[in-house]
Amino acid sequence: MRISFNFIPMYLMLVIAQILICNFVNIGPYVSLSILPAMVLCIPMSVPVIPAMIAAAVSGLAVDWLAEGIIGLNMLAIVPVALVRNAVIPLLFGKDCSERGERFSIHKNGLLKVSAAIFICQTIFLAIYIVADGAGTRPFLFNLVKFAVSLLCSCLLSIPVTDMLTSPEKK
Amino acid sequence: MFRAGRIIKFCTIAAVFILLEVAALIMLKNNGPMQNIWISKGTHAVQAVIWGGTERIRDYFSLRKQNEKLAEENFRLSQAVRQYGQMYGNLPADSIPEVIGNYRYQEAEVVKVSNNKQHNYLIIDKGAADGISAMSGIITSQGVIGIIDAVGEHYSYARSFKNSGMVVSARIGRTGAAGEIIWDGISSNGAILREIPRHIPLHQGDTVYTSGFSSIFPADIPLGTTREATVVNGSTYNIGVTLFADFSAIRYVTVVNNMNTDEIKELEDSNENQL
Repeated sequence: MRISFNFIPMYLMLVIAQILICNFVNIGPYVSLSILPAMVLCIPMSVPVIPAMIAAAVSGLAVDWLAEGIIGLNMLAIVPVALVRNAVIPLLFGKDCSERGERFSIHKNGLLKVSAAIFICQTIFLAIYIVADGAGTRPFLFNLVKFAVSLLCSCLLSIPVTDMLTSPEKK
Repeated sequence: MFRAGRIIKFCTIAAVFILLEVAALIMLKNNGPMQNIWISKGTHAVQAVIWGGTERIRDYFSLRKQNEKLAEENFRLSQAVRQYGQMYGNLPADSIPEVIGNYRYQEAEVVKVSNNKQHNYLIIDKGAADGISAMSGIITSQGVIGIIDAVGEHYSYARSFKNSGMVVSARIGRTGAAGEIIWDGISSNGAILREIPRHIPLHQGDTVYTSGFSSIFPADIPLGTTREATVVNGSTYNIGVTLFADFSAIRYVTVVNNMNTDEIKELEDSNENQL
């Protein structure tokens, strides 16, 4: 398991950033901003699935604990992202990337492919998050609008986050 | 070896994933009142599906036992109906005898049956040791099933009604004209009632019963309903009959034995010799 030296502090800083977003950035009931899926996506492929899932769970739990939310909500939504990460990366960036433990980046693989990977991870995360948050009490249309708006905003926010965690200069 | 390693790895990942998700759900249930209700509802729905599924599986495996009980009960009730038909009186259920009138009735289970040939047969689980003799009839509440040809110690071989060589005496309604009914050789529930005189008025949908003229089957066993009729040689009708019996689902049957067969046969033979 090889992890870039700068990755861990950068990851921890972004967890704090996510906590700050949850606590202080309140755009409205229809927007739920999250960079956690992009962060989990950027965990190096040299990290096996189980440690990646545990790391994702701990990150989610930290956000739940320290932000004004329901404990377990982020954790519930982020663990499946860590699970599907190992299928999404070979699918979009080729098998070499996963087999050699290479890291993907916007510079190397292009913005389109990285955006597609973020989109998939955000979709999974937000679908679970919004459904569990509403707990069957909100109308379907509300959930749908919230999902669409949050997906757009979170994807846009995740692109610079992904760039920070994967760009070669940060190694 | 490599494959086993992959399976173990897959199972470990799945177990850790489930563990983390369950932990998250428990935390969510304990910290969000709405989520608590939502998760409880989901849990109850899953429990209901699992319990319903196991109940269905248990029911399925107890079907054989229930079928046997039902067949026994059905046999007992059929006997009672026959007896009431003869006596027009009331008798307690436990006094129902095996013998009613000239016929002796015995329940049996079909262990083998052929349905897709021109000469079909069936084997039942009763033989000479159970008092079964050749030339006994096999019936159900839905009609005539066959005639026993050969008897072993514990099993008997019978010609199915779905056999091109088998003819049964039958009549339209309980008091109508009598003829002979045979399998049409084509469909699984089709038969032809032959030799019905042309002057007899016919209606589609009339019930056809055994006539009781043969020494094998008692009278008034319902066989099927009439369909269209065709005139043969200008003098008789051939009437299509839709049989009640579903030969593909036969399992429990009743063996019926006329106890006076020998006497009737003797009488027939002696008179034929005189002629």
